[in-house]
Amino acid sequence: MNLLTATTRYYLLLALFLFVGGSLGLYHGINWALRTEVGEQLADRRRELLAKAQANELPSVSQLAILLDISRTPRPLGFRDTVLLDRTENEMVPHRQLTFPLVVRGEGPVWVSLRKSLVETEDLLGVVLAVMVAVLALLLAGMVGLNRWLSARLWAPFRHTLAALRGYNLQQHQPLALPAPAVAEFAELNQALNGFSQRLVADYQSLREFTANAAHETQTPLAIMQAQLEQLLQVPALAEDPAAAPLVADLYRGTLRLSRLHQALSLLSKIENRQFAEAQPVRLDELLTERMAQLEPLFDARELRYGLDIAQAPVVVLMHPGLADSLLQNLLQNAVRHNVRGGALMATLTRHELKVSNTGPATPGDPARFFERFRKHNAASDSPGLGLSIVQQICAHYGFGLSYKLTEHGTRHTLRVTLPAAVGTAAPAVLSASD
Amino acid sequence: MAPLFMKILLVEDEAALRTALAGSLRQNGYVVDEAAGFAQAHEKIELYKYDCVLLDLTLPDGSGLDLLRALKAEGSAAGVLIITARDALDDKIAGLDLGADDYLIKPFHLSELNARVRAIIRRRQFNGQQQITFRDLLVLPELAEVHVRGELLVLTKKEYDLLLYLLANPGRVLTKEAIAEHLCGDAVDAADSFDFIYTHLKNLRKKLQEKGVENYIRTMYGVGYKLSHE
Repeated sequence: MNLLTATTRYYLLLALFLFVGGSLGLYHGINWALRTEVGEQLADRRRELLAKAQANELPSVSQLAILLDISRTPRPLGFRDTVLLDRTENEMVPHRQLTFPLVVRGEGPVWVSLRKSLVETEDLLGVVLAVMVAVLALLLAGMVGLNRWLSARLWAPFRHTLAALRGYNLQQHQPLALPAPAVAEFAELNQALNGFSQRLVADYQSLREFTANAAHETQTPLAIMQAQLEQLLQVPALAEDPAAAPLVADLYRGTLRLSRLHQALSLLSKIENRQFAEAQPVRLDELLTERMAQLEPLFDARELRYGLDIAQAPVVVLMHPGLADSLLQNLLQNAVRHNVRGGALMATLTRHELKVSNTGPATPGDPARFFERFRKHNAASDSPGLGLSIVQQICAHYGFGLSYKLTEHGTRHTLRVTLPAAVGTAAPAVLSASD
Repeated sequence: MAPLFMKILLVEDEAALRTALAGSLRQNGYVVDEAAGFAQAHEKIELYKYDCVLLDLTLPDGSGLDLLRALKAEGSAAGVLIITARDALDDKIAGLDLGADDYLIKPFHLSELNARVRAIIRRRQFNGQQQITFRDLLVLPELAEVHVRGELLVLTKKEYDLLLYLLANPGRVLTKEAIAEHLCGDAVDAADSFDFIYTHLKNLRKKLQEKGVENYIRTMYGVGYKLSHE
């Protein structure tokens, strides 16, 4: 329900109440006025008859009885409503009746009933009600029509703003440039949103710069720490003290982990900042073969059965070679890390997709969250849990599809990267689409 | 030990890192000249002849790539090993295109640096014809053969790589992490790979033992391994 419909609904509800109340009031008012009028007319005739009786101008009762309803026995006095048969229309018609005693000279009292039809009154009321209902209907139709017109015209700037907000992406580093529409409220809204997005872009920009600078500045001290610790391990005195060397080795290991984490994070931020502009044709099949061969000792150590299936060669994908390498390494390492001893690992590459599957215990939780940063299945793991985040960022950067599936009773995990359909000449179009 | 009197120019602007690298190289028997920036390095390559230049690409007063161009323009025979930050992948590619022999991404293991320098010098100076001798071992790199007291020692590819890596760092403690990265690529998480290092080392030791040489490879508890001189 949109805002206009909602307000219109309340308007219509109010109008309905007012119309019902007004119609009832009008009905009773007119009814009362008409009956009073009829009563007055009857009272006038009574006065006239009584005056004639006083002046002794009335004819005899038998003559009067032709014109009036006269009874020699007493009748209840005063105004009454009654129904009489209208002979011409052959239906019962409501009448107002006034009964009073009349003394005709020499003939004693008689009771006279004067009557007047109320049928015109009812017709009038009918017309009044019909008019009211018609106006109500017109109002309703008018409201609906106005609503449509207004929502098309008056709310157009609002819709435009909404569409701009929906399509807004901070990664494009552009503030919103919304126009100032004629309606003051919308103009204010757009102004506020423009200001908001400018602040957002500025903050994001400074955050990115900070991250990039921090990353760059951390790199050198890390390299120094690592080199000096490695030199410290060579000090002969260390070999004489069996307790000291493992301490230094732990420090060294910690430095390595830190520098790995640092590398992964700066890679992620570089992808997000689109600093890997130039793509070039990469032989994914060759790269995959090479990476698999490099990891073979690792597979052997874990007693993994592994297989590589390249259905069609060559598989050429347009991307940054460094990112292609990172994509494959992270996929393969993920498949090793979450594998079980004596398990299996399979890499399949066609022109359309790259699939890496591995055996492993079923992992609890929502698969969509596996791609989150610092997501670990095992909290004690040495890995910072950034591998799949990097995979996801690379896929998003190049517009590749990425999906996760758990099959074979929850023991086989498959990550599937869908490669762009067209390679070679059509590839630049794919790239620009991902931008 | 490194071939005698091999001269290396180390171009690195971070003093602490430069000291550590130079220290490690000197321990391996190289003669090391240090340069803290572009101008200093440029002067040195004009004046002296080096066997190998370790070149950091980001220098405060100039680009390492320009230094590389200057070296190549002079027709220098020196091998060039580029040291680069990870976020400068494209510089690395440009460096290799300009004729650098190899590259290392910061931060790296000093033992890896030794192995790379040694490989570059061997390729450059001896066209790969050099023999490596260590105690009773004789390695012929161009044939990928290892002899123990004249007897051929049959090794797998990984065992051979491991032995060469140890031989490039005689007397140095090699961390398990450095060995893992050397054998499996730098993206491998070291913790994942200790199993296989252990396996390969065990096999290598056994094969050496069968040929009658023992205690060449010492285990440094909690740290790594060392190729021992005694």
